[in-house]
Amino acid sequence: MSRRRVLALATRIVRQFRRDRRTLILMLVAPVLVISLLAYIYRGATHHVSLAIVNSDASPVAAQIVAGLTASQSLTVKRMSAADAERAIKRNDIDAVLTLPANLSLTGSTPQTLTVTLEGSQPNTSSAVLNALNQALPNTIVKAINPAGVPLRLNPVFLHGGPQFDQLDYFAPTFIGFFAFFFVFLLTSVSFLRERIQGSIERLMVSPLSRAEIVLGYMLGFAVFAALQSIVLVLYCVYAIHIHYTGHILLVFFFTLLLTIGSVNMGIFLSTFARTELQVVQFIPIVITPQGLLSGIIWPLSSLPGPLRILAHVMPLTYANEALRGVMVSGDRLSALWLQTGVLVGFAALMVILAASTLHREIA
Amino acid sequence: MSRRFGSIVALERISLAIPRGRIFGLLGPSGSGKTTLIRIAAGALSPDSGEMRVLDHIMPDRRITAHIGYMTQAAALYPDLSLRENLNFFGALYDVPARELLARIEEITREVGLADRLDSPLQTFSGGMRQRASLACALLHQPELLILDEPTVGLDPVLRRSFWQRFRELADAGRTLIVSSHIMDEAERCDELAFLRDGRLLATGSPDALRAQAGCQDLEDAFLALAGALPAALSGGHR
Repeated sequence: MSRRRVLALATRIVRQFRRDRRTLILMLVAPVLVISLLAYIYRGATHHVSLAIVNSDASPVAAQIVAGLTASQSLTVKRMSAADAERAIKRNDIDAVLTLPANLSLTGSTPQTLTVTLEGSQPNTSSAVLNALNQALPNTIVKAINPAGVPLRLNPVFLHGGPQFDQLDYFAPTFIGFFAFFFVFLLTSVSFLRERIQGSIERLMVSPLSRAEIVLGYMLGFAVFAALQSIVLVLYCVYAIHIHYTGHILLVFFFTLLLTIGSVNMGIFLSTFARTELQVVQFIPIVITPQGLLSGIIWPLSSLPGPLRILAHVMPLTYANEALRGVMVSGDRLSALWLQTGVLVGFAALMVILAASTLHREIA
Repeated sequence: MSRRFGSIVALERISLAIPRGRIFGLLGPSGSGKTTLIRIAAGALSPDSGEMRVLDHIMPDRRITAHIGYMTQAAALYPDLSLRENLNFFGALYDVPARELLARIEEITREVGLADRLDSPLQTFSGGMRQRASLACALLHQPELLILDEPTVGLDPVLRRSFWQRFRELADAGRTLIVSSHIMDEAERCDELAFLRDGRLLATGSPDALRAQAGCQDLEDAFLALAGALPAALSGGHR
């Protein structure tokens, strides 16, 4: 073994990478960026449970319960009408609704049951709500209004899912979208880069092929793979690992393909800024990872600190996840997901424009 | 027309006419602007000033792309696809009727001597075979005008000769060919020539006319004599 040869090799590698500023910066910046996002999510996350109370009782008992829960540290309480509360929980603005029935009295000996409505598709949130309530409730019922010590019970009602729901039921729908988004982006940008490196893009540009045809052809080609991937993934999730599933399966493919159109064109667009396949891979921590962390795949958007929540609402994957989860977990129809559909169509359109303008520059 | 890339002047006020049905050679050392000129002619690049007219259309113009066959310097095909798949792809891009395509692919691969390799992926091809595959792709749609950027570079003498035979046949059949080269011996085979150096046009004319103009017996001497007429400051490549 020659020290000189080893050193020559090592020096050559250092020299080569020293010129590749972008790789260097990214090696240092990307991990810091990702870890700060994680830290922000964990440290900055709100552990508060937001609870709406629908109070249809004028008795002092009800007033006492409301006052007691409002004072509780672990709960954020809003008073709402039944209709408002129903709307808010469907929109995920609140975690749970506690309904206080009329004629709430603690004078008899029969136990009183209070209904808690939970969104239910996020098991972590569900158990946090029930824990917080079970802790706070007994403290609110002081001896003065409950002399007989009538037991208060909670009756959890789940809008979707329920106690049989686990984390996986919550994750699985978003994984379908995420993987389609990720792979299609990676494959498109690499294969478009190859067209440029091997020079075939020049042959395409001087052929009768129009820019619209290039964009459409690429989209169609990769849509085949995205569709194949989501079919395999959906079937596996439903039949092999028994994910709970309520919505229309065609809607899952609809949203996946919509996301894919954006992803293909994002790949074409961003591949302009890469000269090597290595540089394409470097887009992953910038474009893919933040979306993976913030789009609500693992942590619900409502648990993110404010600024990150705003960032999450700029990311297309957030809307894809909401839509896919809406379809699979809540059984939503397309009419309930017009916002998500609109954002995804807008994202796809924007990326098509960017990709097409990139191709225009190609002719220069 | 002129074209620059940043501070590098690739073409400096070039003006020339290329006759139809002939082999027109672009001769000059590397860095002389041949490829820039060829890319402008093919519509892959626009000049900064001036215009390029091809078959009476100002380039780039998508309406006449189907009449142009373009062979880039590198093979510029899909190495993971077979020759047949590459030819099918370009045939479809150029709207070669599906009924004719199969027959044309067989004919053209026979002509370039690759009939037995039709179904092998291009990445298994040698350099010379790739050049032939690339030529086949440029010829497939039977274009009126063929623009070939150093088509014979890296070819052995036997192959080079067969390429030039094929070029002559095409010109005899009424096609126009623009061929760039830096090999003087190939210049002899052209009907008309343009000598390029440092983005400037040194001279145009038939090989005989250029020899007469320079007063030399040999085309290479003629090129050097004509190049020597340039001010010293402008000589020397810039790539």
